Amino acid sequence: MRLLFLTITLLIVSSFFVSCNEEVEFQSNDCKKLPSFVRAVGFNPARSAFSTSEKKTMGLVLIELQNQGEPRRYQHPSWKAAGWMGPIQLDQFGNCFVGPVPVVNVYNNPTAKQNMLYRVDSESGIMSVFAELPVSDSVTVQNPYGILGLAYLCETNTLYASSVMGSDRTHERGVVYALDASTGEVIDKITGIDILGMGISYAPGKRTLYMGSARTSDIYAITLNKKGEFSGKRKVVLSLLNLGPRGDDKVRRFRFTQFGGMQIYGVEFNFNLTAPTEKQETVYEFNWDDAEMKWQFVK
Amino acid sequence: MENKIIRGWFNFFIVSAAIVFGNSCNSGNSVTEHKGYDKDALESVLAAADTLITFPFVQQRVDKIKDALQQKKPVLLYADSASGKQKLAESVALNDSVFTQFLFDPATHLPFRNEIFGIHQARESDMAGIKLAYNLADCYRVEMYNYALNNTSVAIVDAGTQRVLNRFYFSQSQPDLPPSLVAMANKIAMESPEVEKALGFKPDEKKLLAQYYKTSLNQTRCERSRHLCVAPTFLLGEKTLWAIVDLTDYRLVGVRWIYSGKTGPAAPLISERKLQDDKITACFCEQEQKLARNGWEMKYMLTSSDGLRINNVLYNGKPVLRNAKLVDVHVNYSGSDGFGYSDAVGCPFFSQAAVLAWEPPKIVDLLDDAEQKIGFVLEQTFRSEGWPTPCSYNYRQRYEFYNDGRFRITAASLGRGCSSTATYRPVFRIAFADDHSNFYEWKNSNWMQWKKEQWQLQGPATMFTPEGFQYRIDGAKGSYFMEPGKGQFKDGGRGDYAYVYVSKHDNARDEGESDLVTIGPCCNADYRQGPEKFIEPDAEDIQNASLIVWYVAQLRNDDRKGNEYCWAENVLNSKGVYETKIFPCFCGPMFIPAKK
Repeated sequence: MRLLFLTITLLIVSSFFVSCNEEVEFQSNDCKKLPSFVRAVGFNPARSAFSTSEKKTMGLVLIELQNQGEPRRYQHPSWKAAGWMGPIQLDQFGNCFVGPVPVVNVYNNPTAKQNMLYRVDSESGIMSVFAELPVSDSVTVQNPYGILGLAYLCETNTLYASSVMGSDRTHERGVVYALDASTGEVIDKITGIDILGMGISYAPGKRTLYMGSARTSDIYAITLNKKGEFSGKRKVVLSLLNLGPRGDDKVRRFRFTQFGGMQIYGVEFNFNLTAPTEKQETVYEFNWDDAEMKWQFVK
Repeated sequence: MENKIIRGWFNFFIVSAAIVFGNSCNSGNSVTEHKGYDKDALESVLAAADTLITFPFVQQRVDKIKDALQQKKPVLLYADSASGKQKLAESVALNDSVFTQFLFDPATHLPFRNEIFGIHQARESDMAGIKLAYNLADCYRVEMYNYALNNTSVAIVDAGTQRVLNRFYFSQSQPDLPPSLVAMANKIAMESPEVEKALGFKPDEKKLLAQYYKTSLNQTRCERSRHLCVAPTFLLGEKTLWAIVDLTDYRLVGVRWIYSGKTGPAAPLISERKLQDDKITACFCEQEQKLARNGWEMKYMLTSSDGLRINNVLYNGKPVLRNAKLVDVHVNYSGSDGFGYSDAVGCPFFSQAAVLAWEPPKIVDLLDDAEQKIGFVLEQTFRSEGWPTPCSYNYRQRYEFYNDGRFRITAASLGRGCSSTATYRPVFRIAFADDHSNFYEWKNSNWMQWKKEQWQLQGPATMFTPEGFQYRIDGAKGSYFMEPGKGQFKDGGRGDYAYVYVSKHDNARDEGESDLVTIGPCCNADYRQGPEKFIEPDAEDIQNASLIVWYVAQLRNDDRKGNEYCWAENVLNSKGVYETKIFPCFCGPMFIPAKK
C-alpha cells in the first residue's frame, strides 16, 4: 500500500503550497494552509511535504527536498504511534489528518485499529487520535483495511473519510463519513459502499464529492449541501473499466484543475497486502463538458 | 531407507506431472451483497505452463526463430505478402542503427527475438515533425516487435529515396499483429484440447467471433508475464469463450466463458491476471478440496495469509496431522539495520497476503533416482508481480507424501528480494492429530522428553541419531521421527539451522488453528520469530498433550556466481527471450514413521 496511497504523490511535490494544491480540487476548494510547526522545526515550507511512503520509516514523515542529495527528514515521535499510514489531508488551519494503512503485513497495524483517524496539530506538530470511527462487528482477517480515503471541503470545514472495515468479498460494508473537521463529530454518512480515493469538485456547478469504488472501476458522485452533508443519491458517473494498461484500475486519488479538468490516479487494488513497489499507477484525464454536462475522457 | 525424492530442483521439471487442475476445481447499517463466483469462473481452465503442448506448426515457427537469430541482423522478416516497395522499406529500416538498437542484449551481446509485424502505407499523421521532403505514396511505417523487452520500434521510411525519415520506439507496447501471427494464435486456440473440451467440439474458424483481440487496453493480455498475448474468442449463443494465447511461448494460457448477452453493461475483458485470480479464488480460496492418493487422505485450501493449508491428514486411515501451514516468511536484510519484511502468502483477493498465489496448487508424482514413483507432492507457488526484478518475491510451498508413510513439509524462497544480504525465515506450523502425544529430543544417545513448552536452535552442537533424526513425537495412534534439513534432501537445500518450538494445543483458545495474522517482525535474528508468544512467559506442560510443532528455518541468500541460493535471475535463452533461472533454497523437516 505504500505506493497505493502516497508514493510518488507526496514525495515528489516540492512544497506545501503545491502539496495543498494537489489535494485541493477546484479553485473554490483551494483553502488549505501549511502547518505552522514546519518552520519551528527548521524546515522550509516551500520545499517540504508530508510523506507516508518512506520505505524504511514507519508512520508520517516530513521531508524537505534539497538542491542536491538526499532530502532532510523529520519525524515527531508521535507520528509513528499508529503504525504505517496512508492518506493525508490538510485543512484550512494547517492541521493534517492522516489515516492508518497496513504495509505488506498487519504487524504494526492491527485490523481493529484501522478506523482511527489521526490529526497532527498545526501548532504543536503532535499527532493524536482525532476520531474513532465505528469499528465494524464483521472485522475479518480477509480484509486488513479500514480508512482508505480522505477529502476536505473548505466551505464547510468538513472532512470526508472512507472506510472499508468489515467488508469481505461478498459483503460491501464500507462507510463514507462526513465529519466536522473541528470536533470530529460525524455529521452524515453513506453506508454499504467501499471507497478508495475521493475528491471534491464544483465543475458540475454544485459541490460534488467524487468517490472511486475500491471493488470496481466505477466512480460515484454525490452532491453535498451547504452544511457539507450528503444530498440526494449517489450515482455512477464514470468508470475506468477496460481503460489503461490493466483495464480494471481503482481510483486512488482525484486531482481537479482550475479549468475543469479531472485527473484520476488509477491503481490495481484487490484488498490484499501486495507490496506497493509492484503497483503501477496510471493517470487518466477527463474534462468537464458543459454542453453535455458530463466528464469526457481525454486520455 | 535412503531418501530418494526429487533430485535437484531442475529435475523437478521432468517429473511426470499429474496436474490436477483443469476443468474443475479438483485440480469462490446497510450492507451491499455481492454474489459469489459463477460457474464460469469455477470452470475456467488455467493451462499448466510446465506441461506445454507443442504442435508441429509451432515447432516450424521455433525453427524459423532459431534460424533468424543466427543472422547478422537477427530479425524475423515480415512473413505475409508484401509489395516490392514494402520489402524495400523493411530493408532500409533494418539498416538504420537507431531502429535496430534493440537487436542485441548490450550485456551479453546475445540476440533478442525481434520480428517485423507491419509495413504499412504511411499516413499524414505519421509524418509529423519530418522536415525532409517526401512523397507520401512512397512512405511506409515499419513496425518491429521485441519479444524479450516487450517494446516496439517504428521507422518511417521513404522507399523512393531509400531513407529513414523518422524512428522512435515504445516501451511495454505491442504493434498490431501481422495476419500470420493472428492465424497462429487462432490455430493454437483451436488445436488446444482445453478449448475443445470447453466448447464440447473441435472449433473451426467459422466459430471465431473475431480474428483476434489483441487488446483494447493498449497492452498485452498477459500483464503478468509481459508476454505477447491475444485472445481468440468463440461465440456460442449469448456466451463467449475466451482463449488467451501466449505468442511469446506459443501456448494456451487458459480459457473462460463470459456471458456476453445482447445488451447491457460492458463486461470486463479477460486477461491473464483476471483468469488466474478468479479461478484460484473461486476454487481454492473459497472451497476446501479433497485429496486421496497413495494411501493418503486430506483436505487442502489456500488461506488468507497462511499459504496452502492441509487439513485432517490421514495415512492408511490413521490420523497424522490436524493441519499444517506456512504462517509467515520473515525477510531480514543484514546490510540494512532492521530493514526487511514479514511476508504472508495467500489468496489474491481479500487477504492479508503480500505475495499471492498465481496458479492453482499442483499435484505431481514424486520419483526416486530410478524414476520410480514413491509418492506425490502437493505444491503451491506464490509470487510478486514483476518477479524476478529487485524487491520482488517468489515462494514455493511443497508437501511431500511418500508411499511408505513418510512426509515432509517444505518451502523455498526463489528470490530475488531487495539484495543479496537477506536471511529468509519461513515459519511453519505443524499440528499433530494425536491428542496424547509426547515430544522427545535426541541427546547423549537417549531420547529425552520435553516436559514443558520450549524452543531449541539447530546448531553445531545439535545431536542426531545415526539415522539423522533429532526429535521424536510419540502418540497413542502413531509415532514419528523428525529429521531437520541438513542439506541431505537433494533438493538444493543447504541446511535449515532451524528454531523448533513445541506448544500445547487447547481447543479452548485459538493459537493459530484459524488464519494467523503476522506473528513476528521481519528482523529479529534470535528465537523471537513469533511462536514464542505461545510458550512464554508460562510454559505449559506438554506431556500426553495435543502438540503443535513450529519450525523456523534460517536461509541466507547468495548471489555469487555458482553459489546462488534463494535467488533468481533472467537469462536470455536460445529463442531470444528471457527465461528465469531459479536457485531455490528448500527447507523443512521430514517426518518418518517410528515403530514402537
